Amino acid sequence: MSTINEKITTEIRKVAKELLEKDEVAAFLGYTEGTVPMVMKPFVARRPEDVEKLFWNSFCVLNLANYLPLVLQSLEPPRRPNDPLPEGPLPRVGVLATGCWSRNMVVQIKENQIERERVIIVGISSRGMVDRKKVQAQVDHLEITEVIEEDHKLIVKGPGFTKEINRWDVVRDNCKSCVHPDPVIYDEVIGDFSGGRQVPKRFGDIQEIEDMDIEERWKWFQEEISSCIRCYACRNACPLCYCPTCFVDDSRPQWVGKSIDKTDTALFHILRAFHCAGRCTDCGACESACPMGIRMRLFTKKLYKDCMELYGFEPGLRIDEPLPLTTFKLEDPQDYILQQGQKGEEK
Amino acid sequence: MEEKREESWQPKIIAFLCNWCSYAGADLAGVSRYQYPPSIRIVRVPCSGRVSPNMILDALRSGADGVLVSGCHPGDCHYISGNFYARRRFALFKRFLEFIGIEPDRVNFTWISASEGEQFAQVAREVTERVKRLGPARKLVKEIEPCPQ
Amino acid sequence: MKPLALFKSELDGFLKELSRDYDIFGPKRQKKGYLDWGEIEGLSDLDLSPGVTKTSIKSFFLPQPEVLFEFSTRAREERAFRLKEPKCPDRKRVLFGVRPCDARSIYLNSMPYKDDCYFQKNIERNIVIGLFCKAHLSTCFCTWVGGSPTSTDGMDIGVYELEDSFIFLPFSQRGQEFLRDKGLREIGQKEEEQIDAYKNHAPEGISEGVDIAKEFSQKSLFDLYDARFWQEVTDPCLNCGTCTFLCPTCYCFDIQDEVLRGKGRRIRYWDSCMFPLFTLHASGHNPRGEKVKRVRNRFMHKLKYFPDRFGPISCVGCGRCVRDCPVSIDIRQVIRQFLEI
Repeated sequence: MSTINEKITTEIRKVAKELLEKDEVAAFLGYTEGTVPMVMKPFVARRPEDVEKLFWNSFCVLNLANYLPLVLQSLEPPRRPNDPLPEGPLPRVGVLATGCWSRNMVVQIKENQIERERVIIVGISSRGMVDRKKVQAQVDHLEITEVIEEDHKLIVKGPGFTKEINRWDVVRDNCKSCVHPDPVIYDEVIGDFSGGRQVPKRFGDIQEIEDMDIEERWKWFQEEISSCIRCYACRNACPLCYCPTCFVDDSRPQWVGKSIDKTDTALFHILRAFHCAGRCTDCGACESACPMGIRMRLFTKKLYKDCMELYGFEPGLRIDEPLPLTTFKLEDPQDYILQQGQKGEEK
Repeated sequence: MEEKREESWQPKIIAFLCNWCSYAGADLAGVSRYQYPPSIRIVRVPCSGRVSPNMILDALRSGADGVLVSGCHPGDCHYISGNFYARRRFALFKRFLEFIGIEPDRVNFTWISASEGEQFAQVAREVTERVKRLGPARKLVKEIEPCPQ
Repeated sequence: MKPLALFKSELDGFLKELSRDYDIFGPKRQKKGYLDWGEIEGLSDLDLSPGVTKTSIKSFFLPQPEVLFEFSTRAREERAFRLKEPKCPDRKRVLFGVRPCDARSIYLNSMPYKDDCYFQKNIERNIVIGLFCKAHLSTCFCTWVGGSPTSTDGMDIGVYELEDSFIFLPFSQRGQEFLRDKGLREIGQKEEEQIDAYKNHAPEGISEGVDIAKEFSQKSLFDLYDARFWQEVTDPCLNCGTCTFLCPTCYCFDIQDEVLRGKGRRIRYWDSCMFPLFTLHASGHNPRGEKVKRVRNRFMHKLKYFPDRFGPISCVGCGRCVRDCPVSIDIRQVIRQFLEI
């Protein structure tokens, strides 16, 4: 195991144990090891002895903020939908947070999904998480039975091969282009903060697609989503997706058909992405959760880029700033609005 | 589809018009006998802020060749700020549709006030012209195929 | 019927010949790197590396969606609102290189779908040519749940891949007829020996002599239902449909009418017990409203309800859910926990 991860794991356990023992939190949300290489399992520690199961490495790709509302709710005393909240402080939850996860918690607080007082955020500066699909591509998609992580490389083993891979080569695209690896809100800190990163081409991948012509872009979009099986792993892995009834489940009117159809799949992806506009922090959980390797993060990242360009807004950085689609300015750009007498472009 | 491209082809365009300005504008165009193509099908909505991307996509999915959304001019919204929110939403949405390869002229936005009957007719002509140039929509139209696979 | 043989070098010609009368599907390397079902025109399309494809074989038997019937809603038409049977393509399909676990899923799914004319029609349409496993992945566990790398359940024809030839064995009437005039030669002496010595590396069984179907059917339903481990199993679950949609034996469906521009059809499409909508009543009540109830149902259905009703466990041990679960929920661990109850 890498010494960096070992250090962080030890510290996480220490902090979690303290919080649980002192009864500051009723549960601690972290990661434990999965049964398959390169897949970590989100884990809720409820007793001090559980903390020994907590682990930290470069495969903690899902966003723990996603679990917060449900875990918090599960700790409240049972009551019927319209009953008032019980008096006195409610049990709290401790949670690990990297830059993007903490930004999602900011969004959740703004949208009244969680209460700041009920979460104890243990901040960790992210070194970038590893994309398991990239690792698989490095070994020609042979089966991987073991991955040993060292500080700057991965040792990947399978039947009949061992390969050393430079860690940074297989870090997720969203982490590579991330400029906010440090938590934005936190109560405890593990390790040192990096103080921010500089990235030369933050939206390089989006720019590449924008530079294509319109028919190429359509082809790219169609191809990207063609393997979608509509399992909704992307939606469910997303901390922004908490609607009691998702638009795909609406039946009157039915916006999106339920089976695999190229239009319905396209509509699902367009609307899912658009629902994240101005809220998505580019944490990459959707892409990491997808079993079919669809890069749906490119859709939300385009919206991220436009929000920055048009409204100068980045989600989750400040708790007192309204989300871009819940506010407006009188001088917002409107060059897309059709003016009388203006001619369309010949495409 | 090729025959449809002939001169005689009239696109179907769904227009979401706000009740207070644009719908009244369309009404005025009619009352004042301003000519505009019969391609526009109007859906009256309370405010341009009511129009969600779901509705625009649903129109395209159902076979509309183009969409027009129109509300009150900024500052004139009956609900004070509905069109300001809409303006942000559609700015992002239109850019996003273009990003995934939907022609920019398929989905159009404009502001029409209740007194702008002539302008409404002009916009209707303009949008029809744009959509005609693109030909029938096919990208997001859902087809009920007889038997898949 | 004696086993028939084909040299490896002849497979390409065999497939090309076959593709004149049949649509052939088999494991194909996809752009994104994984193996998945795809149309096969010749050997170059086929990839017979060890392990199962990304998605299961069920989409050939329970298509996504299955059109049950069609109708027109144009009132002026004479036949408006009269139901029309969907046209069925004339060409039969050959599924080549089906692993024993996937083939076994056909056998298992046939139990609840015994009287379903749509499923039976697809059984008629597909000729299943299985491929016995020479190696297994770390996620394979067919031997735990009643299968094996050389299991023939659900196959019309089984194929051994030897050093330089393929050996075809029919296991059904249809398989025999299919092989009859395909110009395959009789198996040689040497090849027969090779079959006998066919070393498959079966995944390790759960433990010596344990038949979990039998074990589980003797356990009390209530003990399993109220077991304490469910909360921990559920905690990481996202409630997505990855496991159910990739699973070959998850066969649940929903039905809906789709009507557009005067045309309509009733479709049957995959549903997943992981989704809250799966059990939502019209009244608004949901008997499986919480995540833990839904997760429990998935495992209980496979490991307890199904064997209680039909006998075998409704899992073939292909390991797809283990391999692709975003949060590494492992049915093997649940099976172990079941055994401890």
